[in-house]
Amino acid sequence: MGLKYIQPAPGFKEYLPKDYVDLIDFGPFGKEVDVQYMGQYKEILEEHPMCAGCWMAYFVRVFYASLPNPEDTIVIGTAGCARLALSQAAVPFIYGNYGDTNAVASGLTRALNIRFPDKNKDVVVVAGDGGLMDIGFSMTLHSWFRKEKFTTIMVDNEVYGNTGGQESGMSPKGVQLKMAPKGKKFEKIPATELAKLAGCVYVVKIAPTNIKRVAKVIKRAVLAARHFGPTFIHAYTSCNIEYSIPTEEVLKDAREREKKDFGFEEYMTDEVREYFEEIEKKEKEAKAKK
Amino acid sequence: MYYVARVDEEKCATYKCKQCTLFCPEANTLMFDDDRNTAWVNEPRCKGCALCVYVCSDLLKRDCIEMVMVTAED
Repeated sequence: MGLKYIQPAPGFKEYLPKDYVDLIDFGPFGKEVDVQYMGQYKEILEEHPMCAGCWMAYFVRVFYASLPNPEDTIVIGTAGCARLALSQAAVPFIYGNYGDTNAVASGLTRALNIRFPDKNKDVVVVAGDGGLMDIGFSMTLHSWFRKEKFTTIMVDNEVYGNTGGQESGMSPKGVQLKMAPKGKKFEKIPATELAKLAGCVYVVKIAPTNIKRVAKVIKRAVLAARHFGPTFIHAYTSCNIEYSIPTEEVLKDAREREKKDFGFEEYMTDEVREYFEEIEKKEKEAKAKK
Repeated sequence: MYYVARVDEEKCATYKCKQCTLFCPEANTLMFDDDRNTAWVNEPRCKGCALCVYVCSDLLKRDCIEMVMVTAED
């Protein structure tokens, strides 16, 4: 963790794997690379075993490309699809037991604050709908009640994709799945409403179709969590296997869902709004000077 | 035999749009070459989902990417 751990000792560079050397020479560490340049530098995410055309894999790619300080970030995941890609990146990754991601993140955030009181170390939880809203429900909510300062990102594929298609609390009402043949009888859990009630200072609901907006939201969520309190992003990342979406139409599906029930919603407290206005004004001034 | 995306580089170089590189779900796979002004595919990493074809052909109507079958010798 930290820039000096990424740089190899003098003389050792030539013995390192090519992917690692590329990451030092052409990677995003230590510089602020805009998400628009994705595809023009060496990304911190590597090859991973997620399905072809998976929208969650896409979200994870954009997530790693939008972190404000990847060299000072720890990512926590849990059982589920997202961890397959999350763990294959040049950012420390902790695999929590199923459901306890937010409890692990709480302890880790506090420990980092004691160990590095003068530095910003970001903790980000990225887990699925099962990990955060079903099995990890109590720990997720309690970390928000306690106002723990870290970011929680829910990659919502509306099903237990890893284990064959059981319905989750986030599946829409009436949907028929392989392991829920009669159709789901209950409504989808209103996760963002719960987050607002539980005291999150920044809450977003988003379908990742506009890359600039996704990057902005992730950056804001991480920055707000540094200073104010818990932040939450609810992202729609479809499961093209369990919902039988042809891979080339995954983006089309996301755009349709965005129009239907996953429209962009952003909530923040007044102090967070003031903070964003301040830092974005500074950024604009710095750009104008260039 | 693998099913991968292939970019028509001459055609792509006339647009300089980079949109496909922003929608590929795989990292370090569909890259943009600044010198030649074209996108290119790192074929051993491509999983063949054809999302880039949807972006290039259906959304932008530019038809620069097609899906092809390649063998290990290619």
